[in-house]
Amino acid sequence: MKHWPPGPVARRRLTAAALGLSAFIAVVVAQEDVGVARDEVVYISSGAKYAHWWIDLVSFQSGTLSEKGITASFGGPRATDNNREHPPLMKTLFGFSRILFADKLGWASEVTASRLPNAAMFALLIVMVFWFASAFWGYGAGLIAAVLTLLLPRGFFHAGLATFDSPIVTLWFATLYSYHRALASRRWCIALAVSFGLSLATKHNAVMLPAVVVPHYLWVVWRRTRPTARIPLGERLAGFAVGIGKVRPLVFAGLAAGPIVLIAVWPWLWFDTFQHIGDWISFHTHHVNYHFEYLGTDYDHPPFPWHVVFVTTLFTVPTATLVAAAIGAAHLATRARHGASADGDRAPALLLFLSAAVAMGVFLLPSTPIFGAEKHWAPAIPSFCVAGGVGVWAAATRLIRTMASFRWFGPIPARFARAGAAAALGALVATAALTETAAAHPYALSHYSALAGGPAGGADLGMNRQFWGVSARGVLPFVSRFAPDPGEPPVPVYSHDASPAWGLYRKLGLLPDGMPDAGPETSGIAKSKIALVIHEKHFARHDYLIWKSYGTVQPAYVLTVGGVPIVSVYVRSDLLQKRHNRVLQAQPE
Amino acid sequence: MADTEAPEPTAARRPRHPGLRVLGAGAPALLLVAVSLWEIVAVARSARRAPAPADWSALSAELHRRHHSGELVVFAPAWIDPIGRREVGDLIPIEMAGRMDAARYAVAWEVSQGGARAGETEGARRTWSQDFGRLTLSRWERTPADVATDFVAAFPAAKMTGGAAQVSLEEVGFEPHRCVRAVPRPDGTIDVSYPAVELGRELVGYVGLADVFTRRDIRDPGELAVAIDGSEVARVRAGVDDGWVRFAVKTTPAPAARVVFTARAVGKNARDRRVCFAAEARR
Repeated sequence: MKHWPPGPVARRRLTAAALGLSAFIAVVVAQEDVGVARDEVVYISSGAKYAHWWIDLVSFQSGTLSEKGITASFGGPRATDNNREHPPLMKTLFGFSRILFADKLGWASEVTASRLPNAAMFALLIVMVFWFASAFWGYGAGLIAAVLTLLLPRGFFHAGLATFDSPIVTLWFATLYSYHRALASRRWCIALAVSFGLSLATKHNAVMLPAVVVPHYLWVVWRRTRPTARIPLGERLAGFAVGIGKVRPLVFAGLAAGPIVLIAVWPWLWFDTFQHIGDWISFHTHHVNYHFEYLGTDYDHPPFPWHVVFVTTLFTVPTATLVAAAIGAAHLATRARHGASADGDRAPALLLFLSAAVAMGVFLLPSTPIFGAEKHWAPAIPSFCVAGGVGVWAAATRLIRTMASFRWFGPIPARFARAGAAAALGALVATAALTETAAAHPYALSHYSALAGGPAGGADLGMNRQFWGVSARGVLPFVSRFAPDPGEPPVPVYSHDASPAWGLYRKLGLLPDGMPDAGPETSGIAKSKIALVIHEKHFARHDYLIWKSYGTVQPAYVLTVGGVPIVSVYVRSDLLQKRHNRVLQAQPE
Repeated sequence: MADTEAPEPTAARRPRHPGLRVLGAGAPALLLVAVSLWEIVAVARSARRAPAPADWSALSAELHRRHHSGELVVFAPAWIDPIGRREVGDLIPIEMAGRMDAARYAVAWEVSQGGARAGETEGARRTWSQDFGRLTLSRWERTPADVATDFVAAFPAAKMTGGAAQVSLEEVGFEPHRCVRAVPRPDGTIDVSYPAVELGRELVGYVGLADVFTRRDIRDPGELAVAIDGSEVARVRAGVDDGWVRFAVKTTPAPAARVVFTARAVGKNARDRRVCFAAEARR
């Protein structure tokens, strides 16, 4: 072939494309096994409304642009009407994707179609991580960094849901990438504005991005204005102050323009703008405290222990990835101390460090409401993966360089030996991450790394079992065996935390006819013939409510992951008796 | 621009033996190899930490063969409880699952995984044990508490003043407890009076706030005072994070004492304080 082997630029492009495509396909395939999260149901239905509103707008339907028309789709008098407490970008994309791929083309189910935008966003993240890391620390480091980002058990799981936790990681990273490019090229300030605005339009933790960008920018200015000879401090500071306006002041314009993008994509902000922005921010600063189990204690009130962020990260990110990140961080710090950093004037490593520090740091504050899971500081994790890529490469380099100095390789050039060693080492670290990610699927919220002892170790340590009711999907094959025969009365199911998803499960064909959701709490349990309990520490009361109503403490089926119970299914004795043979014939795994 | 071609900033002193130098330089790589291999193996092994279904079945069959009515069944660690109940839940009446404590049970069967111990078997002596793969079934014996009066069971004879109370299975401290539940008005009290009950040498009880969500939303504590024949003998406060709080007082044996439990919601904002208590007069 004329253009084979490809040059370095083409090779990077091809690699980026292959990584992105692989990530997209992997997420789309894997999400098929994952249950429907409670929040997804709201986002999917709101998203369809938003998308239809935009379609009405461009097809000039009358009344669409009126305050009433916008409110009907995007707002309402109460804090959670039309899910107005969350910005609309991803929901709108979920809606468009659903309309196109499910409703029009029929290529995918409503749920899969709604999840496609997140899979695409995750693929974009993998591409950007590779592109950024390979630009500063070499092709190999970038490749390993991207693969480690792909193989995060929780990150991969969230990428397959129609929620905001995965896309905010992508857009957070895109904002920092754009900013970093903007330091070298003014045109990237436009990308900075757009990506920051889209981040704001995705999830509220984007409001913290200026806390990453501004300190970094000041550091860059400080470095670039450093004098060649000793000068008085006053002069140094004056030069620094002037430098702020000289180096790339358009960065501030980019950040300032972000909210304009937010407003542009969120019609709810097109009137009473300040009131609606205030409502949005206030909802999250006064957020209801979730229940979250950590080291055996159920936290339902701030403060969370300061170490939650670190311990949870330690137990949810593959250990080999973390060790590689620690080596990479040490390597980068050493180089920085010796003034040998990659592109020292733009300090990419410092940018990644600040990104992780800000994304995680807010959860060290005693006033932060109890949000819970690691997904809330997920924007920090690509920094770990980039450091991991650098760490693997640096470890291989250090070894091979030393061996080469003794001419251990004979005629083999050291760079080949290094590439080989880095590839082998990277493959091993990636295999460890792959093992964790595969073991976590499809119940990643109950999975803890080998360092914690797996799911059982997590349970021993009293780590949060799960949330969002996703795992209910795993008991649907068992529940379905109690479906009524034609002509028989329905078999209502107390579906507990899976209640919002029950209708979607029915639509997906995972539940047969005649098994409706029985309704909430005590009245639902009383009406039900089958009752689910999705195990979380604070959900124990549901077991006891069911015991009282069913007259037994004995579930008919318990779904486990790594031996840890995640869902119990109770069946009324008369129904259990009636269906005894049918259940025995096909016990699910 | 990649920086990997730049010279290492640390120009090292060369040790005499090349092998040592290579070993030092290779330490990070070796660490990565070791951690990665360990993680791959550990993940594979963690999947096998769970007892096999056949082990559960064999244990269940053995327990059903040996168990007698009224003997306690407990699980360790506590998180295997749902699986344990699936296998042997028919041996656990709701009253047993919602027990006040384990003192009244002479025999406790402990289903244990990975060598864990249930708190209920503390102080008891093991009289029999058998392994089933990663599971162990043990029989524990102790001298049981001799209960003169169970105040939950005797509740139908009690009289209430200041509001209603009822016996109910409640979640207190994330555990099931069958208890007398009273919900006093903020800063108010409800008296639950037992006009003539037998007392032994000790009165042991527990109190806590039921319902996880009201505990989260209302942070004020509840309180329980106990009076025997008009004299207060105990006053116990139960905060939102305190769980099932034990109290015990020495008593003089009496055939027909008047015992009054006073539940109080402490504070003007103490709405919906579901004060739950259980107590036993023990001989």
